[in-house]
Amino acid sequence: MTTSTFTIDMKLTEIGQATKGTNPREVIVVLGPAFGKELNKTIVKLDHATVLREILSGIEEQGAVPKVIRSLRTADLAFMAHGAAQLSGSGISIGLQSRGTVVIHQRDLDPLSNLELFPQSPVITLDMYRKIGQNAAKYALGESPNPVLVVNDAMTRPKYQAIAALLYLKECQSLIPHQKPVELKAEFSITE
Amino acid sequence: MQRSKRFEILEDRPVNKDGFVKEWPEMGFVAMSSPNDPKPSIKLENGKITELDGKKREDFDMLDQFIADYTIDTTITEQVMALDSIEIARKLVDINVPRSEIVELSKGLTPAKLLEVLNHMNVVEMMMALQKMRARKTPSNQCHVTNVRDNPVLMAADAAEAGLYGFDEQETTVGVVRYAPFNALALLVGSQTVRGGILTQDSLEEATELRLAMLGLTSYAETISIYGTEPVFIDGDDTPWSKSFLASAYASRGAKMRFTSGTGSEVQMAGAEGKSMLYLELRCVMMAKGAGVQGLQNGSISCIGIPASVPSGLRAVLAENLATMIFDLEVASGNDQTFSHSEIRRTAKMLCQMLPGTDFIFAGFSAVPNNEDMFAGSNMDSSDLDDYLIIQRDLMVDGGLKPVDEETVIEARYQAAKSMQAIFDELGFPAITEEEVEAATYANSSDDMPARNVVEDLKSAEQIIRDGISGFDIALILAKRGYRQTAERIFDMLKQRVAGDYLHTSAIINKDNLVMSAVNDENDYSGPGTGYRLSPERWEEIKNIRQAISPKDFD
Repeated sequence: MTTSTFTIDMKLTEIGQATKGTNPREVIVVLGPAFGKELNKTIVKLDHATVLREILSGIEEQGAVPKVIRSLRTADLAFMAHGAAQLSGSGISIGLQSRGTVVIHQRDLDPLSNLELFPQSPVITLDMYRKIGQNAAKYALGESPNPVLVVNDAMTRPKYQAIAALLYLKECQSLIPHQKPVELKAEFSITE
Repeated sequence: MQRSKRFEILEDRPVNKDGFVKEWPEMGFVAMSSPNDPKPSIKLENGKITELDGKKREDFDMLDQFIADYTIDTTITEQVMALDSIEIARKLVDINVPRSEIVELSKGLTPAKLLEVLNHMNVVEMMMALQKMRARKTPSNQCHVTNVRDNPVLMAADAAEAGLYGFDEQETTVGVVRYAPFNALALLVGSQTVRGGILTQDSLEEATELRLAMLGLTSYAETISIYGTEPVFIDGDDTPWSKSFLASAYASRGAKMRFTSGTGSEVQMAGAEGKSMLYLELRCVMMAKGAGVQGLQNGSISCIGIPASVPSGLRAVLAENLATMIFDLEVASGNDQTFSHSEIRRTAKMLCQMLPGTDFIFAGFSAVPNNEDMFAGSNMDSSDLDDYLIIQRDLMVDGGLKPVDEETVIEARYQAAKSMQAIFDELGFPAITEEEVEAATYANSSDDMPARNVVEDLKSAEQIIRDGISGFDIALILAKRGYRQTAERIFDMLKQRVAGDYLHTSAIINKDNLVMSAVNDENDYSGPGTGYRLSPERWEEIKNIRQAISPKDFD
């Protein structure tokens, strides 16, 4: 086992209301209202900084262009991501809640439909977040990737259902009614 | 800190894999009592309710309005609301107060009043009340029969085996939605192979489920969900009125139905409005009553991880079962979803319903292994059956099941699989091979089954709906192919649809094709020597587990 001693710090700066993108290679990552702000770790204690960095790296290494925005009027994953897909230059978005639940969405789909959904946040690994970024990029570039393998564990309910609800409630406390999404500048620094 | 070895052992125990959280009343993360729960009150003007639990009519949400206009009896509510809550709680436990008196009182209760009543009761008192208030005298049980591959041969064999164990209702659902008609067919054929009268259900999207019921391939439905706050209700594109309409669609076609609700759902969807889980569930119970349905599946159901995580949460789950009975509704009392890694904890919870008895102690005991349970796993599964049967015997309690012998099970599974083979052959569906029949006869799970051609199966499954292949068609085929007894039993189920007697509260159908419900099997419990008692025959059945050694074995 390797012992990594570095930490990743993330700085999210609001740079104004999110506008409709024109770059056809653009993939929007929409964060939950409390992501990296009031909440900083997923349900299995993965740092938000690390999770977001994996997703953005996954998008970039496939040749797409990520943009990060924050949802403020809804914390509902489907509606966050569906809204972001409307703004995305490619029509592809990734929704990411603070607890770690994630979805890949597309502009033309119904809100409650999706391209790929990962409903069980406790079983999503950093490697999967990176692959989700990669797949979103591939959809944006017109490819049809194999979906990222979904893990199913019947005992996640006893262990995590209550905590998942708790984290969603906390996320909802950061909601601002009627407020449109804001664009964020995401900067990462690594300290050894 | 140097770790205590004893704490390290404790931490490795299964119970410590469960999730526990502290109460958070402002967000409704509290089981039975929140500072935001309303105080009970009722005001009437000209026979119309103008105030309900501290809220004026002009401020009612649609749930308040539904309950005020359709559930509460304005002729007696002022009288009932004037009673002290603790007095009502005592009446619930008092063996000298008959069930009928409580049912009469229930007509005048408001949700907040009943919440106060239930908060006065501990779990033993609630179980006492359950024993008296259950609508049907004879307790019963329901199971899940599903498999991850939606294999119809295995499903029919599993339904047959579950029938032998004594489940009066069987519920299935799908992995792949388009398999739904096959699953309904497999459950019908498998269950009727071993005994007439078993009710079957295919839990699906509402329109398809109703269609299968109308074809006579299923006989009841229960996954018609209602919620305790307006935003959560609207989130599902529904209202109490739309759900009532759906309920009447089933009833008018002679299919039994009940609603579903449960503590924790509003918290899960961040729509609890700061109210306790039980208060919101009591609103659901009262909406079910107002809608005129005969029963309710509750006991948290798929949100069980949420009440189970907070103090007094499993007491709240028991309280919601009791509330349903107080309103003279059938209750299918949960225990149907995984909520704990701990064998001790899941047994402790289950005993709350099993010991007093309910209309359906489990709203799905998984009759298959939990990893085959497409409802995401039940509180108990097929590997727990012997434990359950032995608990019945230890405590002389009727949990609705009976011991089976292996040879009979194997024969029943074989007959069910052969019947499916004949039906598929007659209808020109993809053939069921002898190898498949053999595998299903001895299988534990879908891992033991040869793969089927899914694409071809799905075409045939769709054909059932498209061509309107009905329960009657299936009965005719079985009669033609020599499965006369199963054919007659399926035909009898169709006759029940016309007679409609099993639409009465808490109805099940016994092996002689007789409906047993709260009407002709009314619970008359009034203390020791009354109510449901094991008959000598039933006790013999429970006693005779295959594991017991007889003196005769040593001759």
